[in-house]
Amino acid sequence: MRTQFVEARIISKQDIAPWLKSLAGKYDILAPVTENGVTTFKTIDDPSAIDLVSQPKSLREAFTPETEQLFEYKLSGPSAEVKDPVVETKDRLIFGARACDAAALKYVDAVYSMVKPVDTLYFDRREHTVIAGVFCDNPAWSCFCTEVNDFLTNPVEMDVYFTDIGEKYFVQAYTSMGEKLLEASQFKPATDADSKAAEAARQKAMSKLPAKAAHDTECLTYDWNHPMWAKLSEKCMGCGICAFLCPTCHCFDMQDCAKGSCGTRFRCWDTCQFEKFTLMGHGHNPRPSRKERTRQRVFHKFKYSVERYEMLGCVGCGRCIAACPVNIDIEKIVNELEKPAAVEAESA
Amino acid sequence: MQNELRSKAKELLASGEVKRVIGYAAGSMPFKCTPDFAETPEEADQLVWNPTCVNNLSVYLPQGASKEKVAVVLKPCDVKNVVELIKENQVDRENVVLIAMSCPGVLNIEALKDIDPREIQSVEWKDGEVTVRTSSGETTIPRDQAFLSKCLTCDLGEPVLSDVKIGKFGDRAAAGDKFASVEEYEKLSPAERRAFWAKQFEQCIRCYGCRQACPTCYCKECFVDKQAQMWASKATDPTSNWFFHMTRMMHLAGRCTGCGECERACPMNIPLSLISKRMALDVMEMFADQAGVDAETAPVLGCFTMHDPDPCPE
Repeated sequence: MRTQFVEARIISKQDIAPWLKSLAGKYDILAPVTENGVTTFKTIDDPSAIDLVSQPKSLREAFTPETEQLFEYKLSGPSAEVKDPVVETKDRLIFGARACDAAALKYVDAVYSMVKPVDTLYFDRREHTVIAGVFCDNPAWSCFCTEVNDFLTNPVEMDVYFTDIGEKYFVQAYTSMGEKLLEASQFKPATDADSKAAEAARQKAMSKLPAKAAHDTECLTYDWNHPMWAKLSEKCMGCGICAFLCPTCHCFDMQDCAKGSCGTRFRCWDTCQFEKFTLMGHGHNPRPSRKERTRQRVFHKFKYSVERYEMLGCVGCGRCIAACPVNIDIEKIVNELEKPAAVEAESA
Repeated sequence: MQNELRSKAKELLASGEVKRVIGYAAGSMPFKCTPDFAETPEEADQLVWNPTCVNNLSVYLPQGASKEKVAVVLKPCDVKNVVELIKENQVDRENVVLIAMSCPGVLNIEALKDIDPREIQSVEWKDGEVTVRTSSGETTIPRDQAFLSKCLTCDLGEPVLSDVKIGKFGDRAAAGDKFASVEEYEKLSPAERRAFWAKQFEQCIRCYGCRQACPTCYCKECFVDKQAQMWASKATDPTSNWFFHMTRMMHLAGRCTGCGECERACPMNIPLSLISKRMALDVMEMFADQAGVDAETAPVLGCFTMHDPDPCPE
């Protein structure tokens, strides 16, 4: 059980804007904003633009930008001058994060800290960010977070957690940073009735979601040679929508942008779903077809992650399911892999 | 029609005429379908035909460049892409059985936004509209909301090519002008247009959903993926994104049939068909040609005529 700091608070919905405005001097405020039908986390000046209803794109861009400069260089004779990029140091507050996206950060933290030195660009952003999440009271049809973990009701990597209870939010702090935030004058002590209302809101949302499954142990039995892989590879079109909408996908490519003897090296999102991702310099590709590539995505999320980091690499946000143009559904895939027949065939 | 489709597919598979039937099967939710590759008469029983059959399955023809004969389920609009693929020697006409379905229009998923998706049990056509059955009853969605905009402006009565036709075909009156969005767009000044696209392309995450969903984007190696001669940077900066999209579109000039799969796939809602429609208008004006509507003519940018009205550059 994670420690819940201070007593729960409530804040009236009307007080959200003044509260965020009062923090604007200290933090850059990032919140979900809908433009052109797409909801993304953006730095905002005007809290009235916040959209907490539409399902936002994940927080991936906020911590690992699509394209990010690693260093600048200047070659002179046999030596090179290398300059680090200017890193942002301003503190940020992310308001409106979903529980799945905060939980995804725990996974990405593990990835970027497994090998020393840790990824300083990523951790610099992490350390300068406070997360004020909002309970998902209207999960999308593709959501299955409760099937992989319990973070929806027991949040991780979240400093403060807001639950909509009508005219106000029921608010809990989970870190000392979160506790400090709740010292603002807009937050008042919560009553038993508020607490019950929050519990009711949670139960209502939970009733729409699947029960916890044993993916973290079942994954060890996944069949490498399951006939499903060939079937999936036929329909997969080979785009990167699933990976680029995924809050735990983190793979990148590194490229140079050179001008004569000077240049910059940057990294940009890449994915195991692209053919060139594993193409070697000498021309060999260990994942030559979509069969190997679709299997890799599922195995990485569910099997390798458990083996490497002792946690699933999927937070059940369902974005890949909702956006896949050919309806490849990772939840259905893992449940198919865990069917007794598949397990028996594996052990036979 | 679904039963007729299944029995035709079974017949083709049982007789050995085709190795596979590329069609639609029920998806993971009743408002989704998924492409399906039936190889046995039993598997043909999974094929469905309903308003969720949005995908343009001709996308699977060029990559499947196998020597085996396949059948493919197509809406009349999808047939246009097969016509282009045949003209461009990407599909062997002898190796493909075209099953053309008569189609009232396919589902615009936005039309379901007021219905709890978990309660949906089926999505069916009924008298040219769409009926959604939920656990609490039936809802009828009128045509102008139920279908994709390309369906509302569709005037394709008969498929241009087919081997098997299922359903009733005939004249069809478009309910609107398919180029209406272009007219609106052209009211913008050049500077406004530039600002519009800069904003759109800034959103692009370079997932290449547009390219992969496009039946006409069949290059073995896309220019944007070339590493040795790097035409475009992998960086998602506005210039590179702009360059990728505009180059891809120019490669589709005279070949894009306007199926809209690029736009449907795009997770960032970039209105890509606005560019392709503008280009289609140019091709109509300059060459009096439309992609996919004539199986006999040569591809417009793949042929030359001595009567070219443009002077030869000196």
